[in-house]
Amino acid sequence: MFRLLVQELKFRRNAILGWGLGLCFFPLVYVGIYPSVAEEMAGLADLEIYAAMGVNLGTFGDWIGSILIIMLPLIASIYVIGNGTGTLAGEEEDGRLEMLVTLPLPRWHIVTAKALALVISTVLIYLMISIASWLVFIGIEGQIETNLVGLDMFTAVMSSWPLVFAMSMIAMFLAAFCSNRRFATMIATAFLVISYFGSNLASSSPLLEPFEPFFLFSYLEGTGKAVAEGQEVWNIMVLVTIGVVAYEMTLIFFQIRKLTVGAWPWQRARVE
Amino acid sequence: MANNVIETRDLTVYYGNHRGILDVNLSVEQGEVFGFLGPNGAGKTTTQRVLLDVFSPTHGQAKIFGKDCQDDGVDIRKQIGYLPGELALYANMKARDFFQMYEYLRKDKKSKGYWQELADRLNLDTSRKISQFSRGNKQKVGVVAAFMDRADLLILDEPTGGLDPLVQKTVLELVRETKADGRTVFFSSHILSEVQAVCDRVGIIRDGQLVATQRVEDLFAQRMNRMTLIFEGPPPEGVFNFDGVSELEKTRQSITLEVRENLPLVLAAASQYSVKDIETHNISLEEIFLTYYSKDERGNNV
Repeated sequence: MFRLLVQELKFRRNAILGWGLGLCFFPLVYVGIYPSVAEEMAGLADLEIYAAMGVNLGTFGDWIGSILIIMLPLIASIYVIGNGTGTLAGEEEDGRLEMLVTLPLPRWHIVTAKALALVISTVLIYLMISIASWLVFIGIEGQIETNLVGLDMFTAVMSSWPLVFAMSMIAMFLAAFCSNRRFATMIATAFLVISYFGSNLASSSPLLEPFEPFFLFSYLEGTGKAVAEGQEVWNIMVLVTIGVVAYEMTLIFFQIRKLTVGAWPWQRARVE
Repeated sequence: MANNVIETRDLTVYYGNHRGILDVNLSVEQGEVFGFLGPNGAGKTTTQRVLLDVFSPTHGQAKIFGKDCQDDGVDIRKQIGYLPGELALYANMKARDFFQMYEYLRKDKKSKGYWQELADRLNLDTSRKISQFSRGNKQKVGVVAAFMDRADLLILDEPTGGLDPLVQKTVLELVRETKADGRTVFFSSHILSEVQAVCDRVGIIRDGQLVATQRVEDLFAQRMNRMTLIFEGPPPEGVFNFDGVSELEKTRQSITLEVRENLPLVLAAASQYSVKDIETHNISLEEIFLTYYSKDERGNNV
């Protein structure tokens, strides 16, 4: 399995660098811009529409929470959906998976190596963004009033990683479950978007409140307090558990999957 | 039985509403080249994919080296080199890197570096990216990958597809060399001439069912002659009614016969009439193969 993991990481080198460097511009722009727009933001802090979009403009800490804890995993999830669904369903569709499963490797090795490669990829991307955020903070530290320190930027970014982990494993599960990549991507994207807006709206609409536990983003707190003190351990555990369960479901469905024929798991053999 | 490398019993695959294969009973002996013949969609690839545990059968069992293909798939695949019919490769890799990766993933030590020798024989430039290759060169990559670890069993699905005649010849040589080593080849194809050239036995599959299994030499031993007798006048009626002789076509001056046996009787009968000319030709494996199909289409057992 280690050999396959090494290969999978090699395949992802360019994506890790591309997404890592690309997402470094996110804190560079949105954290770096804060000193010049701080006053305007304070005036908009009470508008409900921003809350509905998951953006909190009250203080520098709130802004960082909105950007690095809420927005960043939303964007990073696009990478993991693309990669997670492409890695099993995508490779099955283009035929490369057949070459892999006919090698002397157990299927659980294949799933685990690909899952680990995806996890390591996201950790590396997140580390790059964390360091970039820290450096940007050092650059603007003198122009803002805050109790936060550089390390808080680093931990704020990393604290949202469990959501990306959960999303990546859900994407892989959908890739093992669905008969094609397009469908897996569609469901994963819908789940992500509903989870994001559902969580924001649930906090302001009593009607959606009972559904809040079903939205992944409900387990991330994007406030200044969370930036300073970190996420609640319970929430992190929930997200990690969702990821682990999704991984185990991936193992089960990939093990029983009739590869190369585009059949859904519930399509049973019919002998005439 | 003990020498059987591949053995299937009532192997049946249905996926969704589609029939894959039905009650395929097959055995391939150690050291033979077994040709698996059939038109597109007959079930050749499905059979191979069950053997390689890409998916499990709906019913029946497949064994390779005495082990169950589904229960001991990993152990079995250590001894198999596989060339899929629909070859998909990592396009952004150089061929050399692909072979090294393949060697690395197969943990193959006994034939380390053999891929280079194969690539040289097939005239494949391994320093180029696979995405830059033509269809034929991509096929060469697949051929090298299948042969590179000198596996005990080779499963080759249309191995010469897209290759030029010279390279086709080299591939067939590789198959013969594999047989000479005492290793086994399961050779799936619909190109009959190459099956005829390298195979010891053939299995003919049609609509998912194995309709015949025979040694190639036996097929030729009982091969038919086709004979056209051209007469000075109208051909005589009912004089060639011998066992193993059937009339295929009759014109104003000629009669075409398929002669399986009793050739001397046919000639003796013909000599009673004024025969102007005789044209004969042996039926190729291709024609025998088509005979199986046409017979079945007429509803007779084959």
